[in-house]
Amino acid sequence: MIDITIDGEAFSVAPGTTILEAAGDRVPTLCFDERQTPFGACRVCLVGVEGASGPVPACTTQVRPGMVVDTQDPTATRVARSVVELVLSELPGPPAEHTELAQVAAQLEVGEPRWPGARHEPVHDERHPYLAFQHEWCISCGRCVRACDEVQGTFALTATGRGFAANVVAGLDEGFRASACVACGACADTCPTDAITELSLLRLE
Amino acid sequence: MDQRGEITDADRQLAAERSGLPEAAVYGVSTFYDDLLTPRGKRHVRVCTGTACFAAAGEAHVREVEQGLGLALGERAEDRSLSVAETVCLGYCHAAPAVRDGDVIDAGPGAIERVLAGSCRPAPEPVQVSTFAEPVLLRQGDWSGYAARTTPEELLAAVKAAEVRGRGGAGFPAGLKWEFAAKSPNPDKVIVANGDEGDPGSYIDKVLMEDNPHLLLEGMALAGFAVGATQGFILVRSEYPRAKPALDRAVEEAKAYTDFQFHVIEGAGSYVVGEETALLSCLQGLRGTVSARPPFPAERGVHGLPTVVNNIETLCNIPYIAKHGAEAYRALSPNATPGSKLVCFNERFAKPGVYEVPFGMTVRELCELAGGVPGGIKALQIGGPLAGILPASLLDTVFDFAPMAAVGCMVGHGSIVAFEEGTDMHAVAEHLLHFGASESCGKCFPCRIGLNRAHAMFANGGPVDKSSLEALLETLELGSLCAHGSGMPAPIRSLITHFPEELGLA
Repeated sequence: MIDITIDGEAFSVAPGTTILEAAGDRVPTLCFDERQTPFGACRVCLVGVEGASGPVPACTTQVRPGMVVDTQDPTATRVARSVVELVLSELPGPPAEHTELAQVAAQLEVGEPRWPGARHEPVHDERHPYLAFQHEWCISCGRCVRACDEVQGTFALTATGRGFAANVVAGLDEGFRASACVACGACADTCPTDAITELSLLRLE
Repeated sequence: MDQRGEITDADRQLAAERSGLPEAAVYGVSTFYDDLLTPRGKRHVRVCTGTACFAAAGEAHVREVEQGLGLALGERAEDRSLSVAETVCLGYCHAAPAVRDGDVIDAGPGAIERVLAGSCRPAPEPVQVSTFAEPVLLRQGDWSGYAARTTPEELLAAVKAAEVRGRGGAGFPAGLKWEFAAKSPNPDKVIVANGDEGDPGSYIDKVLMEDNPHLLLEGMALAGFAVGATQGFILVRSEYPRAKPALDRAVEEAKAYTDFQFHVIEGAGSYVVGEETALLSCLQGLRGTVSARPPFPAERGVHGLPTVVNNIETLCNIPYIAKHGAEAYRALSPNATPGSKLVCFNERFAKPGVYEVPFGMTVRELCELAGGVPGGIKALQIGGPLAGILPASLLDTVFDFAPMAAVGCMVGHGSIVAFEEGTDMHAVAEHLLHFGASESCGKCFPCRIGLNRAHAMFANGGPVDKSSLEALLETLELGSLCAHGSGMPAPIRSLITHFPEELGLA
């Protein structure tokens, strides 16, 4: 077992444990889903580690003996807050209150975007009987792609484009219906913004 | 792509069938790389927008090509006879601006007129000058280092004792990297030569791969000998059309010297693929996005095997060490980082080219070697687009890792790009951030969104709010997953420090 300290509290965890696994809910996340391999993309789980040259991502950093972690490290929190601010600035509007993104934004007390700019154009796929994809709400966290690959094993989704134009599509960008999708709903279940959601829920709104 | 000028869903389905990849994954790949994204006409013209071309012509050459050919960057004529695209960087920084018509690269005076007239001719290759009586890197590889090898343990010890630091930018000790892989219990190991480090302004790797491929192959075979690998991959930039044929020829010839298996693979146009985890993804036919480490390539790299990823120039240092030993190598740069270093200069210098120098010279001395800049030096960007910018007042800085870092700059990839007197430094910031935003792989959020916003702050024409810029740079620097996002703030910070009035900060 490895002894570490998180926010002044002593923990003893198995070798190979990540900081996030050890620290649990006190660290906010966006691209993380405990059913999936850590991805390290959103950088919202940044924490302070004594002796490190800067904030480290909790989800992809394994604990080391004697590690001293500060989940409230001011620099790490400031950067994580800025990242969420950037994410909000690329969306068409505020995310629905029940979404993980809205909850993380509230937890980090994210303010008005300081860096306005391009937003994603609305592109809707509502051809599938159960699943809807509103691409402008996609934040490229990759959770749906990993849910499809790692949890369901269907490989119907992919990241597409690069840079600010990155997004997610089904199959050959042909929508869920024509792709290999088996309508399991794992992508909608994990999506932190409701970019992918159940069509019936969308029609309720 | 080459025949029809675009990728269709039928192509993607065929690729999926042949590769065993899911159709969605193939689609993802086909929307990632420059070479696959831009529709091509029968004639495909690419305009270089690298930093050296910018330093030579601003964007005038781009506008001339667009107007002269009647197409904007990324457009194809309706009859599919012609297409025009942007490319970064063709590696003809010594003769900028450069343009590529098919596989002919023309550069320098008259190149733009010739491309408009449809009469491009191959640009002259750069001069190569070594300051050493016995060059380490600018001598033809003759496999004598490979012939002089003793045991893997001794070679690994020599490379560690020689303190070879990686020449691609990060400066990580090559011996340490080798040791990680050598220690792996997996008997199958792989050496990867990173020939897709497309730092605009650097053409060192281009010269080594095209004109001295045997030295590289010898270095790779030695790396394989030291760590216990029997095969290696060279991922070579598609922006250097002469490189793969030269390497393919040398691989055939190398069979006379070694059993080490070489595989030469061409990239498809992505700067971030120069990052090692992205490189390995590209090498395996996937999207060239960065992955979080661990696992490090030394544990799990190509096809899950322990993998050593080295820069081209780094590997080219190894034959000398194998032949002459660590002490002789260290003596090349007394009281400085051991070994010799290639630097290359842009077209603003009187005598641009690739020069082999010791570490420890001042930047001023290096510039004098290349004949200085007739238009006067306003600032230099040394080491690539992620490097800080050195104002003329700091030319006496010593060219080595620590002194360069102390002034916010780096050795990096060894390129020395001069911005001459009169260069608009706001335009430099905008140019660099355009590059940064368009090359972001899109994986981590700070880089994907932050570089788009940073570019917008400089491109919108208004004043740049200093405090929100500083906060954005901090987010990029401390939050990004790889050196692309975390490195792009460095030149901007230099510009804030040295040219605050020009940036229009408010």
